[in-house]
Amino acid sequence: MDIHEYKILLVDDEKTLLEMVAGFLKRAGFHHVVTAGNCRQARELFHKETPHLVLLDVMLPDGDGFTLFESLRKESEIPVIFLSARDEDENRLRGLGLGADDYITKPFLPEELILRVKAVLKRVYRIKDARENESVLLGDCLVDLGSGVVHWNRGEKAGAGGMDTEVALTAKEYAILKKLSQERGRIVTIDALCDAVWQEENYGYENTLIVHIRRLREKIEEDPSHPKYLLTVRGLGYRLV
Amino acid sequence: MKIQYNGRKLMKVVLYGISVIIMIIVLVGILNFVFLLAGGYIYSNMSWDYIAGGKVMEALTYTDQGYVLAEDMFRKLEEQDQFAMLLNEKGEVVWSVRKPEELKNTYTQADIARMTRWYLKGYPVQLRVWDDRIMVVGMQKDTAWKYNLEFPISWMDFVMKAWWYYFAANLAWIVVLVFLFTRRFMKSRERARIEWIAGVSHDIRTPLSVVMGYADTLEHDTGLSEEARQQAAVIRHQSIVMKELIADLNLTSQLEYSMQALRKEKVRLAEMIRSTAAEFLNDTLSGQLKIDVRMDGDTEHIYVMADRQLLVRVLRNLINNSIKHNGQDKSVNIQISMWKEKRKCYIRFEDNGVGYSPEILHGLQSRKKGGAKQNIHGLEIVKKIILAHGGKIRFGNCEEGGSYCLMVLRGEKR
Repeated sequence: MDIHEYKILLVDDEKTLLEMVAGFLKRAGFHHVVTAGNCRQARELFHKETPHLVLLDVMLPDGDGFTLFESLRKESEIPVIFLSARDEDENRLRGLGLGADDYITKPFLPEELILRVKAVLKRVYRIKDARENESVLLGDCLVDLGSGVVHWNRGEKAGAGGMDTEVALTAKEYAILKKLSQERGRIVTIDALCDAVWQEENYGYENTLIVHIRRLREKIEEDPSHPKYLLTVRGLGYRLV
Repeated sequence: MKIQYNGRKLMKVVLYGISVIIMIIVLVGILNFVFLLAGGYIYSNMSWDYIAGGKVMEALTYTDQGYVLAEDMFRKLEEQDQFAMLLNEKGEVVWSVRKPEELKNTYTQADIARMTRWYLKGYPVQLRVWDDRIMVVGMQKDTAWKYNLEFPISWMDFVMKAWWYYFAANLAWIVVLVFLFTRRFMKSRERARIEWIAGVSHDIRTPLSVVMGYADTLEHDTGLSEEARQQAAVIRHQSIVMKELIADLNLTSQLEYSMQALRKEKVRLAEMIRSTAAEFLNDTLSGQLKIDVRMDGDTEHIYVMADRQLLVRVLRNLINNSIKHNGQDKSVNIQISMWKEKRKCYIRFEDNGVGYSPEILHGLQSRKKGGAKQNIHGLEIVKKIILAHGGKIRFGNCEEGGSYCLMVLRGEKR
């Protein structure tokens, strides 16, 4: 099922906000959006429409979102993103000990909302990101993220031996490149990269990371000592452009 | 919510309360004394024209026909409704004037002893010894209160000595009571205030979401003119500024009264600084902002027990401040460096902007609040957060231009 086919239930007591957010979601391609203005309506729609995700305001006229959330969770494992306007809620939501999937603090930008909705849907319903299997094009080099193979098309530049060559990435290099390509154009900190590659407890891996980056550059960069695509952001991390 | 109090502030209120109470006590004491004197004086002038035994005796003369009382004294006794009688050594009444019928004509030693201390058949009397005779002057029943006080001398000694302790103990009591009352009072008042601010900021956030959301939509609406889209961009940007202001307001009010329960966790400073800086750079148009992060190798694994969100807020506020007060060329160069001395972790934040004005520096250094003339809320929060974490902070200007902020936090072992 395409991500845009998922049905979203939106609960907020402020009608203007409800309309606006529904508009954002529709424009982003989600054409099954139902809205509720209070807990009662939300419960009704929840049973009638069986949505795939709930966007839930914390403060509702006939009860608070936390209670509604708990009662919904008793019935199904539906993912819930909270919309909150109070800092106190943030404290409660920060750990998400409640079991909510995410939270957004008001005021927010449409882009942020859509990103989070998509991220939660992908995670919960294991939707394969189209980009995940895409390949990354870096100049003459094409990295197939499905197989983790780097295809070089050196063309005439390489002269007579200008054949297409293929190099396979190691698991670590693959993880690094995948992370960087997901955030292409943005700085990814050393810490985020270590998290992506070694998961938890990864202190002291910074130097190892440098080694892997260098090897990766050897495979994807034309001139590894003067990288054009995998750039170092001094003191912070790396960026794939 | 756990509540802690700003000790200095509480102390101030308590001291104020105590001094007010002491002033009231002293004032009431003085007033009471004055009223008592004045009242007593007026009252005695009105009706306490008591004629004592001595006066009667002076007016009494012994002649051949017996005792003769001066005419004016007789009139006075009549006016006051008093009586008088003279007893001889045997206790017999040898002379009397206006003596009530029910009174005997002979008194035993026991009778006399009793009437000196108490009453004579309910009549308050006063005795005066005249040679071997006794003059008894009495008033009507229930007109005077007569009582004798008697204490052991040791007890009186104790009272005289313990007087100061007694006073001090009372004072201590007052202090404790005032303390408890003011604390209670402050608690409820501060809570009301914080809740009010939290409520207001909550109410603003929802409409602001709509403003921000639609401004963003307009900004991306290709059907609009470039100018209109630019204006929408300004609205969007300004609503983000408002968002930050609201968050700051809420945070200030909570930090002010130490109501923000610090959600302390292990924070790896190096990681926190990098991710905050990266986030900022990712969201800013390239070229305008440069953040140079320099950390000593041994700071890489430093942890502090802190509220991560608040520390992120510190950096964000500092960066925002640098962006707001950038130099003439509009470029913002920020340098964040970190080093370690023993278990202390130093973070130095530096920019190439216009530097802090003397007023801002003064406002940040003085302990007084309400220096809100200048737009330094963001920096106030930086200071409060660092102090709330038991750290130290200093703001200043670099010699070569730009400003710096030096923060010291206590590192934890891993």
